[in-house]
Amino acid sequence: MRSNEERLRPLMLAALAGDARSYHEMLNEAAALLRVYFRRRLGHAGEDIEDLVQETLIAIHTRRATYDGIRPFTAWMFALARYKLIDLLRRGQGEISFDGMEEILSGGDFESATMARMDVEALLASLPAKQARAIRDTKLEGLSVAEAAASEGLTVTDVKVSVHRGLKQLALRLRGK
Amino acid sequence: MTMQKTRRLIDDLADGLRPVPPRAVERRIGTALLSGMAISAVLTALTLGIRPDLMTALQGSVFWMKSLYVGSLALLAGLASVRMARPGTVPPRWLWLSLLPVVVIAALAGTEMMHTPREGWSALWLGKSWKVCPFLVLGLSIPIFVTLMRTLKKLAPTNLRATGALAGVTAGASAALVYCLHCPESTAGFLLVWYSGGIALAGLIGASLGPRFLRW
Repeated sequence: MRSNEERLRPLMLAALAGDARSYHEMLNEAAALLRVYFRRRLGHAGEDIEDLVQETLIAIHTRRATYDGIRPFTAWMFALARYKLIDLLRRGQGEISFDGMEEILSGGDFESATMARMDVEALLASLPAKQARAIRDTKLEGLSVAEAAASEGLTVTDVKVSVHRGLKQLALRLRGK
Repeated sequence: MTMQKTRRLIDDLADGLRPVPPRAVERRIGTALLSGMAISAVLTALTLGIRPDLMTALQGSVFWMKSLYVGSLALLAGLASVRMARPGTVPPRWLWLSLLPVVVIAALAGTEMMHTPREGWSALWLGKSWKVCPFLVLGLSIPIFVTLMRTLKKLAPTNLRATGALAGVTAGASAALVYCLHCPESTAGFLLVWYSGGIALAGLIGASLGPRFLRW
């Protein structure tokens, strides 16, 4: 299989010459790569990731003249992506990766897991009851989203949103905000 | 839902695709630079006046020493700005070449001093216009700085402070080049201190404004 660079660069060069079809294909592939790039760095904050993907695609489009055809295309693209990511974090709208949260919630060895659990309980107490329950059910008790929804008498979406918002709050709090 | 939006966005972007001419970044920055310089030249002619002995000066070596000095600085800083307009770049290593013209002018200033009696030294360094020179250069750099920054913002600089600084130096040095049309000073010492001072000032201001005004 050819590398991203080997596939994308010729498409971009054709696009710069005006070939809309290559451009379309390149953008689609770029979107997929960008999604992975942002997800790795931000965790699962779905909305933010797709926003960043779109913003980067727009930057690729409006600033495509700055791509120097003799240089690697993916390096150029990720430089734009990185700028957009830093810009988001600088505006204070982004959140740190949830990986740290996940680790706390799933725990390592018993002692640190217990300590972490105590910390988590303290943190959860600072959240609205609904979000705290949703997180406790799905992340600590190990219920599925559907089970949690059934036991709380909520819809699946409701639980997902509560978990998402709750984790977002916790991540912000852990960052000291 | 949002991924669908992304797909629609891609359709829209690809739909209106127009080819990009080769060397587009160089062209755009070059156009911005030249149009800014044209404004500064008109401003110089209207407010300061072109030096009356310009035709004679063109035949002497002093005018060319001045123009070459600031012209070479403008060229190097301009080329570096082109580099900085691309994402993920750092100022180029060859930028240290810009010290070369400075060293040459410093050497010339030293020679001037050796050939001038001590009581003439202050005239060498201060000329008649040292109080206004750096500020006139700075003032004339404003139109150039504005056109450069507007263009850079539409490109993709990611190191905004360095890009702002280089845009400032480019604007300052090319404003100094325009200022040569007016300025009657004729010593290397004056050039070294006051022209360079104006250019450096423009660079500092550029560095401080870059992060705010180049964001995209």
